[in-house]
Formats: sequence, structure tokens, C-alpha cells
Amino acid sequence: MEWVIEAEDVYYEYEGGGLALDGVTLRVAKGEILAIMGENGAGKTTLVKHFNGLLKPQRGRVVVLGMDTRHTPVSVLARHVGIVFQNPDFQLFAETVEDEIKFALRNFGFPEDVIEKRAKWALKIFGLEKYRERSPYALSIGERKRLSIAAVLSYDPDIVILDEPTSGQDFLQKERLAELLYLMKQQGKTVIIVTHDVEFAVRRSDRIVVMKAGKILGEGPPKKVLSDVRLIKEARLKPPQIIETAHSLTSKGVIVSKDIYPATPYELIRALGLGEDI
Amino acid sequence: MPIVELRNLYFSYEGSAKPALKNINLVVDRGEFIVLTGPSGCGKSTLCRVLNGLIPHFYRGRLSGQALVAGLDVKETPTYILARHVGMVFQNPENQLFLSTVERELAFGLENLGLPEEDIEQRVKQALDYFGLADLKDRPPYLLSGGQQQKVAIAAVMIMEPELLILDEPTANLDPVSAEEILELLEKLRKEKNISVLLVEHRLELVLRYATRLLIMREGEIIADGPPERVILTEHANIVGIPPVVEVYKILSGTKYALKDIPLTPSDLTNEIEAVVKRGVGH
Amino acid sequence: MYLPKKTYLHRLDPRSKAFMLAFYSVASILILNPLLLVLLVISNIPLAIVAKSLGRWVKTMKSIVFFAVLIFALNLLTSVTWNVEYALTMAARFVALTSAFSIFFLTTTPEDLALALEAGGVSREYSLMITMSLRFVPTLARDLQIVTDAYISRGAKLDAKGLLNKIKAYTTLLTPLIVFEVRRSLMVAEALEARAFGATEKPTLYKKVKMTGKDYAFSLLWLILLIIVIVLKVTGVLY
Repeated sequence: MEWVIEAEDVYYEYEGGGLALDGVTLRVAKGEILAIMGENGAGKTTLVKHFNGLLKPQRGRVVVLGMDTRHTPVSVLARHVGIVFQNPDFQLFAETVEDEIKFALRNFGFPEDVIEKRAKWALKIFGLEKYRERSPYALSIGERKRLSIAAVLSYDPDIVILDEPTSGQDFLQKERLAELLYLMKQQGKTVIIVTHDVEFAVRRSDRIVVMKAGKILGEGPPKKVLSDVRLIKEARLKPPQIIETAHSLTSKGVIVSKDIYPATPYELIRALGLGEDI
Repeated sequence: MPIVELRNLYFSYEGSAKPALKNINLVVDRGEFIVLTGPSGCGKSTLCRVLNGLIPHFYRGRLSGQALVAGLDVKETPTYILARHVGMVFQNPENQLFLSTVERELAFGLENLGLPEEDIEQRVKQALDYFGLADLKDRPPYLLSGGQQQKVAIAAVMIMEPELLILDEPTANLDPVSAEEILELLEKLRKEKNISVLLVEHRLELVLRYATRLLIMREGEIIADGPPERVILTEHANIVGIPPVVEVYKILSGTKYALKDIPLTPSDLTNEIEAVVKRGVGH
Repeated sequence: MYLPKKTYLHRLDPRSKAFMLAFYSVASILILNPLLLVLLVISNIPLAIVAKSLGRWVKTMKSIVFFAVLIFALNLLTSVTWNVEYALTMAARFVALTSAFSIFFLTTTPEDLALALEAGGVSREYSLMITMSLRFVPTLARDLQIVTDAYISRGAKLDAKGLLNKIKAYTTLLTPLIVFEVRRSLMVAEALEARAFGATEKPTLYKKVKMTGKDYAFSLLWLILLIIVIVLKVTGVLY
């Protein structure tokens, strides 16, 4: 198992008070899609900002791709770890869409021909070709969100972190996001998403980590974690609809009790024994 | 008298050839809980802004057709009069809370309306009690949690006693538990104050259980309008995402395990499945 | 800047504190003796202690040391004769004024200030402008941090060499922030409309700032001190 990120007993307190991380130990495996979940203020964003060196642990350490973040400049770490923050409007720095996509590539000193190639790829994959000469601010909010992701993926980081990527997104946008996650995984990238969205996390992630008040409450395969009633309640999350249904049906004896509940409609139907001819 | 009457409504923003609202026909009565959904850019927010007069008074453009809110013509009535009938709560609480204490925040709208001090004092006290904000009355709103902030925002608008409360994705930035608290609050308001609620939201699995009516918009038009159980099964619903429990219903429908009624919540689905199993079908 | 506390000074009407400010302002200008000016500054310390804000006052004072030294140096270098005393006076005056204003702002909410202004006849639009600008300062600071984080995360550097490059870097950084904040102001405006802003010419003032006995006493104290200073100056006793 190759660990791309290893956080060991990380403590972080913001100036002016507020212990954001209270002894967090976490390992992220290469190629996995990891969902970090928890209520607002649990420390999720603070934690991921340690992964590209924006924040340095005050106690403990974070090792990313073999590099200790305390001794590696952000510019080096950022080359391998891309973060797409929640609000696209805070991440649009260029005058045209094309320049926006090239912004990071230029900053990291890629050769011009590589820049052209990757920009072309990103514009195409994200359906932004027709806007290449336009100002990023002329785009709709959904398009700006796509652009903010495109601008990070264009420089091909090994690890991609998305902060609340489904927030405010409509159904089709979320489907596209799911396809994107799959694409990134295919490319061998490691993806971390910070999210509240239990339905999205249970279907699209490989592993879930649940945080509360700067600590990790639990982690494991999505269905297992989101079936843990006590854990979910403590973290102020709500179980996905199918898991909640399965839980009720189990307590009524309709389904035989298992540790891990069905999480999708088809899994539920199969668990009921109705699945043979459906 | 219906609280909203829109007939043949068209609207284009100034400088834009393409209409943002096309042929909108909508009648809303008191006590309805309407969930309004649709893909990004379909005109949901535009429609909301017609209802409280931001369109056409704040956002210029061409508005044609009939737009009556509480019997008043939106085109002719200033927003501060419409504000007495239509309350609007926005997505980001930060941008709706301006003052240094919760108490002052609640009083703000009434101050603007020029109500006498004693009336304001009374209404503020009532609102603090009703919304459970009495302990927070001296706290700065911007230091509260997201869920508490939205509660204050709702209270600050409800204190003006509108007949219609519009909320534009109010739970987008909230964690699931806070989101549910807000939704429960809206349902309570609807039942106890007999107001109409218009809620714009993408996550149907969260809100459909409260809806008396589901509206789907697309490219400026209303393409579906009716009881949620019916509308969610139409083809139009495919563009907005069907809640997992409804998906189960759809998969089983037409088979010998078909569920009797359309479930909108896990608890509905549990009951439906139990009924099917008891009927002796399945194991 | 303001932190809610329940001290004597916090509870005073801003108009009384304005009398205090008036005294310090006039005194700092009239007094030329740098030693006396330093005494003025020191007289703020008990005020800061009453306001339970000594730590923050000290912090503010520390942060202006650089500017005070700068003012001293500039005045010294630009004077025809090597007038050390004059330069010291200028620097001390600056410190005295800053110190008094600091006490004022540490103990007055933007809103109390706005309310006092409204009570004095300023229209709601202006008073609201003051309240909201101050209310959004921490929000803007936080947003600036977010934009900076995003900027650095895309490999851009803030410590560019050369003034021109630095300006370029900061412009690039600030553009998204400014655009967003302008958009935010639009959303705030919408919310104001939804709360019937502008419905009447004279909105009710639910929460008033009242001048109590303590306020009149406090104001009178500083008014008397102010008169004394003026008289002493005019009669040549004070230097």
C-alpha cells in the first residue's frame, strides 16, 4: 500500500484561539477517492490545507509524497497537490478563460508547448472551448465552478482536493462531477473531497473519514461508516435514505441484520430478496 | 384571494435578447409549501425576484404579462410595500445580517417600516420567543453558527408578517442536521401562521417530504407543476434528480412487488415495503 | 476592533466620549511641550484599564511606533535648523491622537456611533454605511485570506522581486476579491430591499443611545478640562 499523505498526530490552533485540529492521524492511499465529512467547524478545511503546505502543523507532522511539509515550500507541494476551494469566484485570477487555465502551468514553469497542450486538453474536457477568449466573470456560476476545477487539473497534480464540490450544484452538475472523479481515478490520481453530501459520498467515494471538533471520529468504507448510527448522530450527519430505510426494516425484522446496510436502491431490493427477477 | 397570480409572464434582463422567464402562469394560495427546482440557470431565482419586486424595480428589464402579489401589481408597487407581504431569505446568511446584535437585526425591518417603538418592542419579544432566540438576543449575528444565522434571517423577515415566505437555497451551506432544523421550522411556520412557503432547492431528497406542490423549471419555463408524488414520476423529473426512495418505487412499479403509494421519506418507504412483504410477496 | 464588554466606558454614549476626544485632540494640538504630550498619552492608560482593554491598547501603540519614529525622522530631516524638540512634538502629537482615538473605538460599537449620528440628524443611509463597512471588515479580511490561499495554491508567489512585480502580483490577487465583494454588496442591497429599507424618510429608532447622568458628568469633566487647556494656552501659562 502506497501512502501519498501521512498525517501524524497533527495539532493546529488558529491565532486568536480556536483549536482546529486536535491530534489528527490519517493516511491517504494512492489512487483512492477519500471523502472527509463532518459539520461546519469540524476542521475539515483546516486539515486539507495542511496537505499542500498552506498550513504547517504546530505539533506532529504531515508527509506528502515523501516530503515533510514543515520543510518543503508551498510552491513545491502545490505542484503535486491541487486544491479547488469552495467558492470559484475567489480563484479566478486571469483575464481570459484560457489564461486562467494556463495560470498555474505558467507559475510552475512548464515549457510553452506543454502549456499549450494541457490547456487545449482542459478546455476540451470541461467544455469551455467556446469561452476561451472570454473573461471568466462572463461565465455562469456553474461554468465558473467548472473553470476553477479545470484550472487545477490542467497542471496535472498527483493529488486533487475538492472543498465542497457539490454545494449548490444541480443534479446534472453532480453527475458530471462524479464522472470527473472517475476520470481522475482512472488517471491514477488520488482525490480527496470535503463534503456534507452523504448521498454523493456513499455512492462516489472509496473511503470516508468523519471529523468532529478537530478529531477523527471514525473512518472506513462508505457504507460501513454511514451505517454506524451512533457515529452519524455524533457527527451531525444524516444517513443516506436507503441506509436509513434498511436500518428501519432491520429493526422491524423485515431484513436480516447485517453490519453493513444496503446503500443503493438495487442493493436494497436485493437485500429484500426481491431481486431475482428485477 | 390567492397570494400570487402570474399570468403570461415574460421577462428579459436589460441588454439581453433571450428571455429569462417565458410564459409563466402561476397561482399560489395561502398555506401552500411549494418546492421550486430546476437546472442551474433555469430562472428559479429570477422568478423569486419578480415575486418580491426586485424585478423590475431593482433589476431592470422588460416585464410583460400580469404579476399580482397579495393583489398588488408588482410593476406598479415599490419593493418596500411588497416587503410587507413577501419575505425573502437568501442563500448566504452573511449578506443578510448587518447589525451588531440579534435583537437589533430583528427590529431592523420594522424600524424601516416606521412602526412605533412599543409595537416593535412587542413584536421583537414575540419573535425572540417563537424562534428560540431569546438567549442569543445580545449576540452578534455574524458570530453565530450557520444554522442559527439562517434562523435569525428567517425571524428577521417573518417579523414583518408576510403572507408568503420565499427562500432561495437557504440550506446550501448548512450541515445536514442544521438543514433539517430549518426545514422543520418552515413547516411549523406554514402550519401555525398559515403562510405560503416557496422554497428553491436542488436536493429533493431533503425537501420533498414537506412539499404540497413541486414546480420544475427549465430554460425560463415551468415544465411541471403539481403534487410532488405525481410530478416526481414524470419524465421532467429526470433532469432534477430523483430521491433514492422514489427510485426504489420506480424500479418496483409494474412488478409483482409494486409499492402502493409513492414514498417521499425513508419512513414512507419502510412502511410501503413492510406492506408488500406482509402481502406475502417476497420472502 | 470593538469587542463587547460591560465596562463604564463601553456603556457611555458615544457623544460623551466625543467630548473626551475633543479634549485630547485640542490638547494635542495646543500643547507643544513633548513631555506634556507624553503625559497625555500616559493619561490614557488608566482609561484603557477601566475599559479592560489595556492589552489591545498597548498592541495598537506598539503597531504605530514605526510611524511615530518615521514622523520624528522626517520632521528632523526637513527642518531648517536641527530642531529635535519640534520633531519630538510632532511625533508625540501623533501618538497622543492615535491613542485617544484608539480608546474611543475600542469602547464604541459602530452601531452606537451610527445611532448617535442618527439621533443627531444624520440620515439612515449614511449611518448604515458606517455600520456596515465596519461590520464587514472581518469578513473582508477572511475573504482576503481565502483568495491568498487559492493564489499560493496555484503556484503564484507573493514575494516577487522588484516593486513592479509586487504591484502586479497584488493586483492579480486583489481582482477576484474586489469583484466578489462588489457582487456581495449587490446581494446585501437585495437583502436590504427585502427588509423594506427606504420605506419611510425617518425610520423608527428602536434602540436608542441615551445620555444618562453619568454621560453628562463625563462630558462635563472633559469639557472643563478642555476649557482649562485653552485658557492656560491663551494666557501663556501653558507651553
